[in-house]
Amino acid sequence: MRLPFSDAPSLRVPVTATLVVIAVLAAWWMAATVAADRKLAALGAVPADRGSYRIVLAFAPERFHQLRLQEAGRLVEVRERTVYMMDVTPAALRGIAGEYWVDGVASWDGR
Amino acid sequence: MTASVTLPRAATQPLVSRRSARVLRGAAGVLLLLVAWQLSVPLVGLSPYFYPAPSDVVASFADLIRKGILPVYFADSMGRYFAGLAAGALLGVVFGVAIGLNRTVAVTLSPLLKFLFAIVEVAWIPIFVVWFGYGLKTILLALIYVVFFPVLYNTLLGVRTAPQILVNALRSLGATRWQVLRYAILPSALPGIITGLRVGAGFAFRGLVFAEIVAAKSGIGYLIFEGTQTQQTARTIVGMIVMGLTWLAIDLCYLRPLERATIQRWGLTVDAEQRT
Repeated sequence: MRLPFSDAPSLRVPVTATLVVIAVLAAWWMAATVAADRKLAALGAVPADRGSYRIVLAFAPERFHQLRLQEAGRLVEVRERTVYMMDVTPAALRGIAGEYWVDGVASWDGR
Repeated sequence: MTASVTLPRAATQPLVSRRSARVLRGAAGVLLLLVAWQLSVPLVGLSPYFYPAPSDVVASFADLIRKGILPVYFADSMGRYFAGLAAGALLGVVFGVAIGLNRTVAVTLSPLLKFLFAIVEVAWIPIFVVWFGYGLKTILLALIYVVFFPVLYNTLLGVRTAPQILVNALRSLGATRWQVLRYAILPSALPGIITGLRVGAGFAFRGLVFAEIVAAKSGIGYLIFEGTQTQQTARTIVGMIVMGLTWLAIDLCYLRPLERATIQRWGLTVDAEQRT
């Protein structure tokens, strides 16, 4: 396959670098999708509405993780490695499950 | 009788092996610095908060990756950087061409631009925060501001030094204003635009760190700041190293090849590294 600018040796490096970046981003996105599917499969059927969930991390969450999770819903409590969240939409839950630093997702009755 | 010519050793050496030797020498310098740094830690005897060892920095780097912090901060920084660079460069080129071609625009805008050029972006960021709050808008504005001026002045220089003989020739052949711009002025201004872009890209990188320190809750600049705030100095150093390596990669993969494909191709300058 002929790449744009493939005849110009000086532009081969930027084109290759851009393709590598795109490939890495695509691989990242695919890995996140597969991870989300795997973690959500363990959860069973995801409700169509907002729900409450326990998000289990591989470590005690830092401020970064709390801020990221707050974008997905209402963060209620943090206990060691587990974050309790309410009002999480299915799309946001899928986003959380796709993060590689999230070990697992489980339903929570909100109490 | 045949005359024999002895070429200098550097000329006969293959280019690849010369490059490898240069890379190896550079790597040896870095390695030497790391060894000296690691050995100096027990001699200095300070806590990792004051003087982290390279091993602490490596552990911190692994921790930031494991926790997903570094990839997100890096992606945030790069998104802001390229968006700011693109917008600033576009505005710089448009204004540079407009000022270069139109005397009224030049007379109207020049004093204002000279005044604004003297005010560094650092001075603007607090007022941007007041107007636009903490976040993307403020950071983008700061980056656009930083990139805009070098691109504008270099474009302006390129437009004003476009060979008049070419412009006159095109006009005498009945070319429209757009055709004169497309076939004479813009090609002449391109080396200036590329130079401005390269300078602006460097300035934007420095501006990004500062803008993220002041106005962001993510990004490599924020990591550098947050590291010292939370007494995790090794994280600060990780942020600094990531910044440095990213700049090297951008320069090597984009800016230098772009310069080679434009300015050096037309014989306007020579890469300083090739002379050494």
